[in-house]
Amino acid sequence: MRKKPPAFPVGLYGMLLFALCWLTFRGVFAPIERVLVGGCCSITRLWAGLFGTPALAATEPATERLSAAADLDRRLRDHAVPINGDRWLSECVAVHCAVVAVSRRGGGGEMCELRLDHTYAELAGCRDFVTKGESLVGFLPRPGDAAASDDEPDDMARVLLANHPLARALHGELDTADGGRLRVVVRAAATVDPAPLKVDLWDDPYRAARLDRGGLRVLSREVSASESLLPGGLLLGTTRIWGYPRTAGGDALTLGVFIAPAIAPRALSHVVLWRRRTATTLPEGSDEATTRRRGRSMAAMVHELPGATNGRHLLVGAADVVDGAAVLQDGYLLGTARGLAFGVGLVTSFAASRQRWTLIWLPDDGALSPIELHAEVIATDGDRVVLRRLAASVPGANLHPTAGHLFTGSNGLHCPSGLWIGRVSPHPLDFDKFVVDVQVERGQRAVAVLSGGGK
Amino acid sequence: MSRWFLWFLLAPQVWLLAGLWRDAGLPPFDMGALACLFLAFFAERHAVPWLLLGLAIGRAMVDEAMLPVQILVLGVPVGFLLPLRTLFFSQRWLWQAFAAALCAVAIPHLAGVCGRLFEQPSATAQMDGITVVWSAVLLPPLLLLLRALPPFRAFVEPA
Repeated sequence: MRKKPPAFPVGLYGMLLFALCWLTFRGVFAPIERVLVGGCCSITRLWAGLFGTPALAATEPATERLSAAADLDRRLRDHAVPINGDRWLSECVAVHCAVVAVSRRGGGGEMCELRLDHTYAELAGCRDFVTKGESLVGFLPRPGDAAASDDEPDDMARVLLANHPLARALHGELDTADGGRLRVVVRAAATVDPAPLKVDLWDDPYRAARLDRGGLRVLSREVSASESLLPGGLLLGTTRIWGYPRTAGGDALTLGVFIAPAIAPRALSHVVLWRRRTATTLPEGSDEATTRRRGRSMAAMVHELPGATNGRHLLVGAADVVDGAAVLQDGYLLGTARGLAFGVGLVTSFAASRQRWTLIWLPDDGALSPIELHAEVIATDGDRVVLRRLAASVPGANLHPTAGHLFTGSNGLHCPSGLWIGRVSPHPLDFDKFVVDVQVERGQRAVAVLSGGGK
Repeated sequence: MSRWFLWFLLAPQVWLLAGLWRDAGLPPFDMGALACLFLAFFAERHAVPWLLLGLAIGRAMVDEAMLPVQILVLGVPVGFLLPLRTLFFSQRWLWQAFAAALCAVAIPHLAGVCGRLFEQPSATAQMDGITVVWSAVLLPPLLLLLRALPPFRAFVEPA
């Protein structure tokens, strides 16, 4: 007698449940994926060699790209430091650090912790605040502090942003519309609050209750008795009023004042720390001359996979490729790699990727500062890519610039900033979008795979 | 045993064949929908989880998202369609065309949802109306062809 098949496919549902476990514990199952997909790609490798032609050597545009990259480095350094000439500036030298990771949600639901490409040991002698242009970014904890209790001096340094739950309170001041000045104490807001920071105390609560307009700049205030020793004049953010608007029959009712920081953590590629000039001996590896990190470069070949209009390539010849490693061809970013077993990997081109990127827009106008962006590719048409801006490191400042070059920002440890992507221009119809002309080549090519980081 | 070896050797490569098909300028269809229909309506029921794994590995080659996301993207439509097998079994063209269009709509949406949930975005999350139409037209005859070819033939469930 034939057994009746079950109505519900228990085995299939088990496999789906297993996939969910896989996604929850990615690190545990990653080797399995590398072997399974790598084994499959080994077969593909046999017939991928049938496609394409050998790569070309560097050409004239590559020289232009290298020149643009050098220009980016110089302008990033020039615009990353405050322009006002406070005393503390003359006592310190800037240490440019790249951001390699952003994590943990803090006040306002925004990210509140950065990891830098320098270790704590390399940053010895630096003051404990971190800046970007004229804005305060956050604070550098010491290894062993409450916020960095598991960190060792040789670990990459973390930065606690002002909206971190363990961040210290800040003294600030703001100029009101009536010409007066209010002094405030600012703390991290709750995760569900409408902005990352909130004003906790006022020197004049009566006047503060009459604030009915947002957008006022809040600057740090130097308090000699404070443990923070934060210099005055750094931008903490702009105010947002939480309450009831003015009506015909009555005044506005302000319930709370929040502060939106001027920097968006996800868009940050570089930050600046300040080392006292009195710290004469610099720790090894604390080179301050460049904003570009050096990593290891491996030569490899990419083959197009059939249907490569989707921007997928097979990477051959680079052993131990790490996930997220940048793949360069002829001086520009081809995409990021996923390492697999058996000496192969897969590359998704920048144009085909839908991951979110940290980018740097370098306008052609040399007087304009580079803009650090967080963006995602939303459409691709041949060599033309449309991106949507999700955040910028300095909101409201020069966000609709002239055409220029687009570079990577810091996209993790293995995809450093300063890799040329293409020419960029504003979208003709949409303020939040921009268009990038990327290089598209077909066939088998020689590439370089970057990995590692730190100086 | 040899049918399983052939399956994991050849089945993932059908995604590359579909890429060649598209590169040749032939009408685009959703390879994921074809895989789902085969698994849901014609494959041996007890073998479906492992057949799904082989096809998901192939999709992971051409798509940016991780392998478990591919398992979910292909497996969820199969999980819904499998109990309807008695309705669709044998070559019922109209029903199959309907199911193919349904899959061609559902798979990009599933890829989008999984991409957002698990931070695994991919370009296949964008639905293309032309692909949906061509999938509805082409997949029933392609299913007929697929069931006659190795390694798929070895896993077709007897009627």
